[in-house]
Amino acid sequence: MNGQKPSRRGFFGMAGGLAGGIATASAAPTAAVAYEGGGEAVPFYGPRQAGITTPMQSHIYFAAFDLAAENRQELVALLQAWTMASARMSAGLPAVPGEQDGDKPSLDSGEAVGLNPQRLTITFGFGPDLFTLAGKDRYGLAAKRPEALVNLPGFNGDQLVEGLCGGALCVQACADDAQVAFHAVRQLARLSYGAANLRWVQSGFCTGGKSKGTARNLLGFKDGTMNPTGATMDQAVWVEQPGWMQGGSYMVARRIRIALEHWDRMRVGFQEMTFGRSKATGAPLGGKAEFDTPDFNATDSSGNYVIPENAHMRLAAPVNNDGAQILRRSYSYNDGANFVAERWPPWHQGIEYDAGLFFQAYQKDPRTGFIRIFDKMSKFDALNQFTTHVGSAIFACPPGVTKGGYIGQGLLETA
Amino acid sequence: MKTKPSTTLAALSVLALSAAWPAHADEGAYLAGVKKHHLATSAVPENGDQNPYAMAFVPASAGNLQQGDLLVDNFNNKANLQGTGTSIISYQPATGKMTTFATLPATLPGCPGGVGLTTALAVLKSGWVIVGSAPSTDGTTKTLGAGCLIVLDSSGKVAGTIAGPDIADPWGNMAWIDEGDKAILFVSNVGFGIGAPGQPVQKSATVLRITLAIADGKLPVVTDKTVIGNGFGAQADASVFLIGPTGLALGKDGTLYVSDAIGNQVVAIENAATRTDSAGTGRLVTKDGSLQRPLAMAFAPNGHLLVTNGLNGQAVEIDPVSGKQLGTSWLDNDEAQTPPGSGDLFGIAVNPEGTGFYYVEDDMNTVVQAQ
Repeated sequence: MNGQKPSRRGFFGMAGGLAGGIATASAAPTAAVAYEGGGEAVPFYGPRQAGITTPMQSHIYFAAFDLAAENRQELVALLQAWTMASARMSAGLPAVPGEQDGDKPSLDSGEAVGLNPQRLTITFGFGPDLFTLAGKDRYGLAAKRPEALVNLPGFNGDQLVEGLCGGALCVQACADDAQVAFHAVRQLARLSYGAANLRWVQSGFCTGGKSKGTARNLLGFKDGTMNPTGATMDQAVWVEQPGWMQGGSYMVARRIRIALEHWDRMRVGFQEMTFGRSKATGAPLGGKAEFDTPDFNATDSSGNYVIPENAHMRLAAPVNNDGAQILRRSYSYNDGANFVAERWPPWHQGIEYDAGLFFQAYQKDPRTGFIRIFDKMSKFDALNQFTTHVGSAIFACPPGVTKGGYIGQGLLETA
Repeated sequence: MKTKPSTTLAALSVLALSAAWPAHADEGAYLAGVKKHHLATSAVPENGDQNPYAMAFVPASAGNLQQGDLLVDNFNNKANLQGTGTSIISYQPATGKMTTFATLPATLPGCPGGVGLTTALAVLKSGWVIVGSAPSTDGTTKTLGAGCLIVLDSSGKVAGTIAGPDIADPWGNMAWIDEGDKAILFVSNVGFGIGAPGQPVQKSATVLRITLAIADGKLPVVTDKTVIGNGFGAQADASVFLIGPTGLALGKDGTLYVSDAIGNQVVAIENAATRTDSAGTGRLVTKDGSLQRPLAMAFAPNGHLLVTNGLNGQAVEIDPVSGKQLGTSWLDNDEAQTPPGSGDLFGIAVNPEGTGFYYVEDDMNTVVQAQ
């Protein structure tokens, strides 16, 4: 391989501003940078991180990391390298510039060669472990932990697996191609050797770009009808208070296994009562069209609610949560099949799909967002009979990066 | 089993149900007048316990107990393992507020095998709370211990235990006579001879009468224990842990009614408070019909028995005198189970005002009010 240069995208042959493995972002491209293969690129640089309010791509590859960096300088170096590589990959360039030395490992693993950026976004988050780990303030950041970055409380029905929870850093790579998304995380993981270690990962898929109207989840229902849009979305998502998180957002991630075999045996009418919506149209029960305003007060002749008290959408609706809003940005997942003992009567046991929803919600404050909403849902949502939360994490996603800066700079360099 | 729910209305547990089956009980029967079901509260306390079982109203205020509050215990822990629940919640109907009344340790010196709270729950006027334990360490009867009755004070603290060779996994919902300084408890014991799931039915379950002397401010003292019923079927079960005599309801004439889950029948033990011998498996009151593994039992205000089914979401109303099954009502037609509501029902308690009743739903770990 030494001296051989793939022609597409100048892979292995890019010159760039990499020095000692740590780059400034100055050489990183803008969104308009030319790349081969066509397609769209989402700007990496900007006041807010991409991948939050960006229209959902078809794939996600998410990774949570533990930090091994011994001091703040090493942490800064890691984030600078990640910033540089992310900006490049978002523009369709190899993660790392430079001349490939055939006697050394590839600068970029190469599986994205020939693929355009596929609307790749790379979004970073800081978990509670960044600020303190086992009571130790490794990077002098404990005092900067925002109040809103709470440890998520235990919720009713949680069956959390330690290996699917938490993390000091997270990387959310979304793209319209699964290999591009994985490639992005893989390159960042390679750049983190010695400074960070993979803790858990999750891939997922979404038909948002292909579906007519609101995309459907694996339950077969439209998912996201009540998502805020426009100014309402901005108000729900972005932190406004001054400080290093201003312009950022908080991410809650939950891996939710769904007993699809159990669900598939249910009458559609029952599924609709569980959701509170028509399966075909997405209309609220009692309504006609998907975006009809649900009538939560409508009752039948016996005085029982048309939209049941424990219907999923009733419990999730902002109007029933003191106006609480979150932006759901969830992907379905399908990780094969394995043995499971369902936790509801009649307690099915056997090999079942390990599939469900990689739920992600963005909000300006999880205490008044996800926690406020899900505390009630975890207790009363009829859908809980088919779902089990097995993974959980919370991250503070800082504001975006300007050229020359790096992700989290406001946290790491303010007094 | 009754007709399946209509496809237009019936679906989720309670809520649409009474609309779907407004008249499954015969005219004139108590259940026929029960139209509305309201989700009262989650039964899950801070420790995440699951699977609510027993229900009992507080007869008089004492300590942390408020008259009219409803106590509900949990049989499973947060990991949903049966026989490991340690909590009792308190629900206040007037305010809708739920609090944790007691969280017990997983093991107690006087309780062989540990703590897994059952449907046996009594609240006395003196403020003592007595609750059964049928404990496991792995969620199955492979690790079943003999358990005990646990005595809690009115602040929810463990004050003592009642155990011994005549107590093995006190299980069924207790009936009791409360005279203040004296109380008589009736409790079923289903653990005799029970091993891992797969074994045949054991004809070994008993109904035990326990007499307590309650001196002011002193821990209740057992003054008598008499087996007044024996030979009931009991069986280990991989899904529902234990099956055995579960419902106990005491009539005003001193007859104790027992739901025999294995026999799919309700039987009567005459002179339950005074008899000195065992009535064996008692006198048959009613069998089969709409009964589908009868569990907890309570008297409706009209003097009829209400019994919850384990194998569907119905309650059955029975005239204890004639033995006639007067009707059924789908308390829970949750189609996530087959048949609807199967495995969801357990405890039932008629409110002191006689205006309705409460029941647990194990599918959602909730308490529901019916009226």
